[in-house]
Amino acid sequence: MADPALLYHDATASDADTLTASNGTGPAFASAESSRFAQTSLPLRQAPRRGAPPHIRDVTEKFTAACQALDVGQLVKDEYFTLFESIGAIEIMDPKMDSGFLQPGETLEDDFDPLAPLLPEELIGIMDQLLSYEMAWHTGYPLSQTLFTSVYIDRLLWPEPESIPQAQFYRDDILDDKRPGTLLDVLRAYCLALIKGCDYVIAKIMARDYFEEEDFSTHTYNRVLFVQAPIDVFLRELDASVEMIEDPDLQIDGGIRSAIVARLHFRKTFLCALDPECPLEILSSFWPPVVPFIDQVNDTHILGKTVPGSFSTKIQRRLASTVPPRPIVQVEFKDALQTLKQLCIDCKEATRFKDLPTDPLEYQSFLWTFASRQPAPLTYSRSYLSNILFDPYVLNAPVSLPLEDVQSFVFHESPILDPSNWALSPPRNPLMPKSPRLQFALLIDEFVERVGQSYLDLWVALGQNKCRLRRMLTHVIIAWDMLQQDAVFVDADLIAYALQLTISEEVMDGPLQTWVYIKKLWMIEKVVVLGFEQDIYLPDEYAGIYYFLSLMATKRKDALKRCVEHTNDRTVQFLQSSRFEDAQNTSEKISFIDSELQQATGISAFAKALHGIYTIANYLRLLPSPNRPFSTESLRYELRMKPFLSLQPPEVPPFEEFQAAVQPYGTYSDPSPSLHDDLRQADCKVWSDIDTSLKNAKDAFAKVKKYGAKESKAGGVEQAWNKEIQGMLASCIALGVTVAGLKSAVKDIEPGSKVQVKIEIPPAGASKRYVEGWIVPKIVKG
Amino acid sequence: MAHDGDALQYVQYHGAKEETYLPAIRQLISKDLSEPYSIYVYRYFLYQWGDLCYMALDSANELIGVVVCKLEPHRSGPCRGYIAMLAVRESHRGQGIATKLVCMAIDAMAARDADEIVLETEVTNQASLKLYERLGFLRSKRLHRYYLNGNAAFRLVLYMKEGTALKRPPVVDGQDGQMMGGLQKMEEYKGFAQDAEVT
Ligand SMILES: CC(C)(COP(=O)(O)OP(=O)(O)OC[C@H]1O[C@@H](n2cnc3c(N)ncnc32)[C@H](O)[C@@H]1OP(=O)(O)O)[C@@H](O)C(=O)NCCC(=O)NCCS
Repeated sequence: MADPALLYHDATASDADTLTASNGTGPAFASAESSRFAQTSLPLRQAPRRGAPPHIRDVTEKFTAACQALDVGQLVKDEYFTLFESIGAIEIMDPKMDSGFLQPGETLEDDFDPLAPLLPEELIGIMDQLLSYEMAWHTGYPLSQTLFTSVYIDRLLWPEPESIPQAQFYRDDILDDKRPGTLLDVLRAYCLALIKGCDYVIAKIMARDYFEEEDFSTHTYNRVLFVQAPIDVFLRELDASVEMIEDPDLQIDGGIRSAIVARLHFRKTFLCALDPECPLEILSSFWPPVVPFIDQVNDTHILGKTVPGSFSTKIQRRLASTVPPRPIVQVEFKDALQTLKQLCIDCKEATRFKDLPTDPLEYQSFLWTFASRQPAPLTYSRSYLSNILFDPYVLNAPVSLPLEDVQSFVFHESPILDPSNWALSPPRNPLMPKSPRLQFALLIDEFVERVGQSYLDLWVALGQNKCRLRRMLTHVIIAWDMLQQDAVFVDADLIAYALQLTISEEVMDGPLQTWVYIKKLWMIEKVVVLGFEQDIYLPDEYAGIYYFLSLMATKRKDALKRCVEHTNDRTVQFLQSSRFEDAQNTSEKISFIDSELQQATGISAFAKALHGIYTIANYLRLLPSPNRPFSTESLRYELRMKPFLSLQPPEVPPFEEFQAAVQPYGTYSDPSPSLHDDLRQADCKVWSDIDTSLKNAKDAFAKVKKYGAKESKAGGVEQAWNKEIQGMLASCIALGVTVAGLKSAVKDIEPGSKVQVKIEIPPAGASKRYVEGWIVPKIVKG
Repeated sequence: MAHDGDALQYVQYHGAKEETYLPAIRQLISKDLSEPYSIYVYRYFLYQWGDLCYMALDSANELIGVVVCKLEPHRSGPCRGYIAMLAVRESHRGQGIATKLVCMAIDAMAARDADEIVLETEVTNQASLKLYERLGFLRSKRLHRYYLNGNAAFRLVLYMKEGTALKRPPVVDGQDGQMMGGLQKMEEYKGFAQDAEVT
């Protein structure tokens, strides 16, 4: 069911998995400008126009009279009253919903005095509490339940100060004896920098695609987080505070003194790292200095003394929001620090992006690996990386990034991409035909333009949280499917002009569509693998889903094979015409394609082996299999295939074909008698198919490993890449053990008898799998 | 399922029974919620789809379990049933009561031509996952931080008819599907069916 906690969200149209376009533009992505969120045009009631003076009319009498006309329980619902509105509605006088409702004796405001002098240990306690809430906010909770519950922060921000000097824990004039002392001044500096940091964080996140509430809450409830003030102001306040604390005249314990100084230094380094104006080239130098201060904060946390009264849910009543007061989010300080540390590590990692070679496939490897980091990067870290990716410096690469990608697969020293094609000018007389080489250039330009948005969509998807990534990919795939249909036409034109020039043997058959197809199949495979990772499939579905995965990887393998063959042909052609340098260049390109080919081969073979073993497990009734009175196999198949049904190619196999693949011996409950005969013989086809697939998988992955990360265009993430390929190899070995175990368990099996073993499925997300998306079952004594 | 939920009576809700049952329904549902739904949420469902709400009552007419649903064309095309709320009193759990209630709701939605039935549940809610998956629901997607406690949800889906995956919204004169979808999208806004996109 839905969580009522979702009910009071302030309206942000972030519900649909619509692809939100990014605002990155560059030569490769000419048409990338479009709106962030799909606008909905709703026949809604007119909202009161902004700026119109409020017009107050007393409707009590009318309302009472109208109510009289209704029986208790009789409802009137106008057609505009949607679920959304019912969710946003509150009940007056219900203490849990009505924020104006006061229990007997309860006061509206807190009586905490933010000008009361603080003890040094209390200062530490408050700073640390604020840091905890800041991190809770980073993990997705709204400011209203975290930082904005601080009386100090509230005072600084409201009423809205006109300048930073005016942002005090008091407003206007104050008696000298009430003037805040040193420690309060220090707390103020700390809070100011903290607030400015929040402003930076929001700015960075909002500059990219994110999903309100699901990822992060950017709501500031009409509080302005010093948007206009430059960073120096805050740094100066922090520096001044350090000086005040270090002043020998200040009577304060040495340990506490340095604990406070460490917190101020932390704030300063952190704020600098968050500064969105940081130039790209030196980004990476900003994160390492933060970490030692985090450690110092950690070590001295024990010195602090909490001041619980300085935080209150009552402040929420005054925030511009329809949300009823919600409890303050509680986070352990050590968890908060862990989150903070991870954020610094992830952002530092993200800065490595700018050092990657200018190669979109390296970018893709990096993005994928980043999204797969454990623990999952926070929204801020993901936005941070996206901001680097979409930095003009990266996007305005001298080469077209999508075209680079195409070239890595299909055009090698190709006449189609010959730079001289672009130097040709069209005939003066527009009625005269353009030269075929000029046509090549025009067609390629047009295609690159056409690819831009789909290409960006893929990158945007790779920047989302992984659940969102899986869902978004299913949409990106549809867009690439349409792209493929267009590519077919461009290919036909290319080949027609190649024929005119009698160089058709130098052009691969259907180059552009092949490239699109390879990318699309890769995405389909990812959707499936992510499904395993996210625990989407039930154990008795594994056989069928791995069957489908194997099928998709086989198609990609076949397409890649054609690329390899073409590249080989080209090399031979060059050698024959003594173009040795071109031959050399072309054959060097083969490593990458062959590495991809081996990767696809491994995936297809390993998935096939898993399909085999899970099919046997289904027959042996070793996997839970609910009876599902309301469903049928074909309905479930349709549901599973839904994201791919419209694609052509690859066409989703008809249900009958699927069924034949997962139920080769008839139904699981009443299999054909030959099943048991076959299972008893370790060399029978059921088993030998699995053995062969497993061997093929191992061989293929071993070849990939030999190529290494760099040749596979994952040089920027070598460590993770190695770990993954090692994991695939380990998975193969583990599956071999399982196969052997199961074989021996069924060597005497008779129809009707029960196998004396059980199958264990390693759970997702518990480090029990070598690779999260690959579920290798384990055989245990029954 | 030969549990001993047999002494209970399973009855369909009716608007005329609001005064008798709504307070009990609210109480039962809110038990497992961190924050309450306003009465309008209950009414939103019960007023329009009261006949898709079923209650389990004991011999003293006390409410033991309840299921609340809705059914309407989804903007992506199919006629979509949605199980919005389900709860059984703690003392009576594990006896098949929820299963029975859900079955009745599914039957009622099937009778009213539902193409599919969907719901969300917390990824850690074993009882709920087991119950629905036993009946034939599959997980179709994982929703990150769907609940405000930070927990993720699974969207569970049950297809009732062949061809549901390919259903598209009817195109009405002069109005493209997009416009039609607009209102639906709003209807499906957060909390209930968070992301109403095409997959
Ligand atoms: C979910 C809920 C409605 C189930 O009610 P119920 O009447 O106990 O359900 P049933 O007896 O029909 O079936 C529940 C199944 O889950 C099993 N189950 C219960 N708790 C479980 C657990 N922690 N782990 C695994 N299975 C569990 C039961 O054993 C039963 O299966 P069985 O019949 O094979 O034994 C009830 O637990 C509840 O009200 N929970 C709180 C509200 C809620 O979570 N609602 C669902 C959100 S959509």
